[in-house]
Amino acid sequence: MAVETQKMEDYRLEEEPYYLPVGNEVELFTAAYEAHLPVMLKGPTGCGKTRFVEHMSWKLGRTLVTVGCHEDLTASDLVGKYTLRGDETVWQDGPLTTAVKAGGIAYLDEIVEARKDTTVVIHPLTDDRRILPLEKKGEVVQAPLEFQLVISYNPGYQSVLKDLKHSTKQRFVALEFDYPEASLEEEIVKQESGVDGDVAERLVKVAEKVRNLRTHGLEEGVSTRLLVYAGQLIQGGVEPLAACEATICRPITDDLEMQRSILELVNTQF
Amino acid sequence: MSTQGGGGAGNVGMYVGRDMLAAVPEERRDDYLQLVQEISDLKYQLGVEVARQLPRLFQEQDDEAIERYLDQVRAIAEVGWKSGVEVAKQLPDLYHAPDPSIADAYVEIVTEATVGAPDDEETQAFAAELEDLERQLREIEPKQQRATELKSLLAARDRRDERRRKHAQELAAALPPILARLRPKHRDCYMREVRLVASADPEAALEAANTMLDLLNGERVSHDGAAEWVRRGLDVLEKNKEVGRGYFRMGSKYSLEVLEELREGLALRQVARVLKLYATALSGRDVAVRGIDEMDSVDRFGPDHIILPADMRFFEDDDRNFVAYKVAAAHGAARIEFGTYRFTLDEIPDTVAELTTKYGLGAA
Repeated sequence: MAVETQKMEDYRLEEEPYYLPVGNEVELFTAAYEAHLPVMLKGPTGCGKTRFVEHMSWKLGRTLVTVGCHEDLTASDLVGKYTLRGDETVWQDGPLTTAVKAGGIAYLDEIVEARKDTTVVIHPLTDDRRILPLEKKGEVVQAPLEFQLVISYNPGYQSVLKDLKHSTKQRFVALEFDYPEASLEEEIVKQESGVDGDVAERLVKVAEKVRNLRTHGLEEGVSTRLLVYAGQLIQGGVEPLAACEATICRPITDDLEMQRSILELVNTQF
Repeated sequence: MSTQGGGGAGNVGMYVGRDMLAAVPEERRDDYLQLVQEISDLKYQLGVEVARQLPRLFQEQDDEAIERYLDQVRAIAEVGWKSGVEVAKQLPDLYHAPDPSIADAYVEIVTEATVGAPDDEETQAFAAELEDLERQLREIEPKQQRATELKSLLAARDRRDERRRKHAQELAAALPPILARLRPKHRDCYMREVRLVASADPEAALEAANTMLDLLNGERVSHDGAAEWVRRGLDVLEKNKEVGRGYFRMGSKYSLEVLEELREGLALRQVARVLKLYATALSGRDVAVRGIDEMDSVDRFGPDHIILPADMRFFEDDDRNFVAYKVAAAHGAARIEFGTYRFTLDEIPDTVAELTTKYGLGAA
């Protein structure tokens, strides 16, 4: 019986991902890593959770295996399964197993979207046992000290049904993320999109105002990621108004009046 | 059945069977058909009988007998067609009687029997009187119908007038409180237009009185616009009272369309939510945008309300009017955000101290 493992080189980061710390998250993550504790990142979409994990992965010199969780993701998809290759039955490691074996960082993005059995699978990895049972294979993988499990979720739009259980939540060191304060966000937008400070400042002001609408019909405010997109379009020669309409107004709402009011805010700034 | 006899035979085919026509010598068939047609024009049943009897007379090729037969049939038919049918049936046989005068005597007897004795004077007088009465009755019938129509019309008008008086009374009660709420500058326009509607239909005037109050007080329409709105409503009212009342109640699509057409400037209700979201985003507070016509229902000095005109008419185009609204909304949002009206007497000492610190003693 053959065993296939994905090449870890596929997950290795070549360059340092840009990340501007907004608080003590780097220190906290580093401390958790050194203490072999799993980490949970909470925060709205597009605020930099994934970039932070990438940055820490590069900083700690670990490979990063990211799994975008979805409602059809099963425990087998994570740990691995038997597949047929011609006449042979082959065990295919899942991304979690790959990360565990390689002593990398396994990042399960939006973990609450996955099916419930996946959270059961990660439990033994999050306590002092640090093991990953491969039930179908009758094997237990002991995680090396370098391995770290990181999960993320966005409490903003999780329903009661989709919230994480306390038995899961209380296994993690939680780092809370939010949109960076204005000066930091301007710096991020500048750095990531290449726009000058003035444009970055205006974009961030628009975002600040739009985020005020979060309890007035918007599920989420404008993410830093969208501001970067807007900056990239502007840097590429698109008129600021059109760029903001395409990256800020339209993605965050289908409500035409909401779109118009946001566009008026953009108009005020540009 | 077939006419076969040429163009002048008309409907003679109805009476002439193929066998009858075949019994007539070929060269006389047109004559036969024409004669049958002529007699049947007098009476259908006579035509049928003559069509049966004539072929034998044509076979005898005795034109004189044919002429005599037809004359006698015509004569008897003149006094009574039923007798004529029977005579037409019997005569050809009588022409062959040993005594040729029998046929003539037979016709005379039947004629006299049919005509009877001349009427006496009394009978003739009865008949004349009856005829005269019947003529008068025929003449009076349309008049009776017209009288019935007029009764219905007058009754309907009575009911209408009664309703009119009832609605006029309701209008009399309703107008004073409405006038008390009307802004003085609209009074002349309001009275003029409501009067126009009232003279046409008091019930519609009741609707118009309320609607015009909202339109004018809410500045939703100018005085000229109000006059035009009423004028078009009166046109509708003239064609159909119920539809017209709906118009003045603002319950018809047309009424709203006319108002929209006459409206000058940008209506707040079209952009209120956009402005609310805009002001909420700017201020970071939950802001409510209200029209000036809604001031009665709002605490106008409350920190979370922005009062704006119901219509913005500074500019010709809506885009610039929207910008004007936006400026006003931004001003309102700033007032809310920075607490312009959040001032209480308790704050005076702190405010004095703050100003003194900031600007020196002269400021306080």
